[in-house]
Amino acid sequence: MNFAIKVLTSIRFALATIGVIILVSVVGTLYPGGDIVFGSPLFLALVGILAISTALCSLTRIVPLWRDVRRPPVEVSDHFIQTLPYAVHLSGVTLTQVRDSLKGYMIRETRTGKTTFLLAQKGRIGRFGPHIAHFGVLILLLGVAIGAAYGNANPYNNKIAVIQEGGSQQVDGFTLRLDDFNVSYYNNGAVRDYTATVTVLDGNLIQTQNVTVNGPLTYKGLTFYLYGYGVTQSGNAWVAFQIKSTSGLPFVWVGAAVALVGIMLSLYVPHKRIWIKEADQSTQLGAISNKSSARFFREIEGVRTKLESHAHSVDHTTRSEEI
Amino acid sequence: MDAVALEHLGFEIALGTYLISSVLFILYFSIKKRRLVEMGFTLALFGFAFQTLALASRWLYAGYPPWVSTYEVMSFFAWAVMGAYVILNVKSDYKSAGVLIAPLAFVLLGFASMQPTNPAPLIPALQSVWIFIHVPIIILAYCAFVIAFVASVLYLFKDKQLSEARMTEGLNRQRDVASKDTPPSRTPESTGILANFSLEQLDELAYKSVAVGFPLLTIGIITGAIWAESAWGSYWSWDPIETWALITWFVFLIYLHAKTQNWSASLAAYIAAFGFISAICTFLGVGYVLPFLQTYISVSTGLHGYAGGGAISGTVLFCGILVAVLLLLLATRKRPPNATRAPPAQTDAESGPTP
Repeated sequence: MNFAIKVLTSIRFALATIGVIILVSVVGTLYPGGDIVFGSPLFLALVGILAISTALCSLTRIVPLWRDVRRPPVEVSDHFIQTLPYAVHLSGVTLTQVRDSLKGYMIRETRTGKTTFLLAQKGRIGRFGPHIAHFGVLILLLGVAIGAAYGNANPYNNKIAVIQEGGSQQVDGFTLRLDDFNVSYYNNGAVRDYTATVTVLDGNLIQTQNVTVNGPLTYKGLTFYLYGYGVTQSGNAWVAFQIKSTSGLPFVWVGAAVALVGIMLSLYVPHKRIWIKEADQSTQLGAISNKSSARFFREIEGVRTKLESHAHSVDHTTRSEEI
Repeated sequence: MDAVALEHLGFEIALGTYLISSVLFILYFSIKKRRLVEMGFTLALFGFAFQTLALASRWLYAGYPPWVSTYEVMSFFAWAVMGAYVILNVKSDYKSAGVLIAPLAFVLLGFASMQPTNPAPLIPALQSVWIFIHVPIIILAYCAFVIAFVASVLYLFKDKQLSEARMTEGLNRQRDVASKDTPPSRTPESTGILANFSLEQLDELAYKSVAVGFPLLTIGIITGAIWAESAWGSYWSWDPIETWALITWFVFLIYLHAKTQNWSASLAAYIAAFGFISAICTFLGVGYVLPFLQTYISVSTGLHGYAGGGAISGTVLFCGILVAVLLLLLATRKRPPNATRAPPAQTDAESGPTP
């Protein structure tokens, strides 16, 4: 059991599963009718394993991450600061001066004896990006599962309703009436669009709407798409509507949106941290970021140079006054 | 001159200049004169300007954006790749990357020139606001993957060159030590086109390109699903194009995870390169390689129609060449036993120091 958890929470295992899904998918596109693999128990099992692995990866990591981000160490050792990717000694610059020039950072400060510690942080949400994305993908998969279970169970799902102009059809407790059907053309005779004007009759409610190729009608969890049309022997137009259940769809769209937000957060919001330790004689500063750090380090370097040159010019004036 | 003639003129000039530019860049391999690169870049800029003119005039007279038919999509892709290359060279000097970009733009444009060019009025299924959003977003994503591919291939070549230089260096040193001479300490440096970039620079460029391309591909897939849902009531139907787009998404997902796991930078470069090949398969290959797709296209009333009809050989050849280049890289790769790996450009906070 422990072993199973260990495997399922490992990133390598999740990526290997994705690798297998890629291979199966490639095979599925290679021969005619190969797309049946996507409905096969093998494929569903792979997706299921990936979903469990994704969930466990995030669940086991989010608590330590939360702790690290909420209560990061403020009082750190000299060695800790010195081993950060960016580490400098500040000369003639106080902790307060640095704090006042850091814009947009969340700051924590503590003091023990004569030593003052400062931690400045920015972009903590970025660290949660991957987990938000994982959560979004899981919601999306839930939507797919709901669609597969409830959508397919709906007796109207995938059925075709054929209605003559002026005629109507009873669907799931309400009535759909075809008022009008039109085909519009370009100048060269090519079809511009098909438009069916339909009215939903449900008790006291009467609602009329145009249905076009890219504009279906959705009512009470069922969506009606233009599917075909023709003319009867008596010269009456008829239109075929394909009916689809909307079960699970909101989950799919919300999941996709959440996943997208998570992806953007993890790629574009770097988590920046700056530690400063001010003791009797020296002020040390160290910084780290979880993304490409060049620009961040340049930013701190800029603050530092500005403060130090200011400090030195002040130093110089006081000295000349003494003389 | 009318807009149609202007479009054709701009197109022909762009095709010609991309070809000459490619030749100049390739010549740079044997004649190591920096001027060749400068000339190649200038010509590429020239061609890009004319192609911009061609696309703009087509948009004007066709009345819809130039990314619907096969001809338009190929041409727009070539234009966007060139655009990305130009933007890349605004702030830093990546002119030598033209050695891969210019031939790619030429092949895409040459491929476009084999397609029927007459603009047809939009069929009902394509008349959707999503055509303005979904298609260009996907193409921009592929552009980012082109840049990631170029950076990764250059990375792999440079890595190989440095490894070999180090190996020679090591052998020389052994010989020098044997002859009791003090070896001159010099670090191996790569030559030619590869001397212009450092490994870290290439690794970071590849990462940044994927960081741009991946969210774009995600948005592209989602908008495609929304469109499919509104057009025929199924947001996902595992057609080859959708499947390959998802495969591409998965490959770059692995790449991004590899970057946080401190896997070696050259492994990441291979993943990025394969991701691009997968993108190319989505974009070009599937519609031609697989005959049954013709049925799919007629059923789906022409969405993803850019992958239907026309000549097959160009695409297959192109995919073949790409795969061959990578296989060649793999096969000729030698790594000395103690070669140091380039540090990854990313530092992972989770593996950062603890107090």
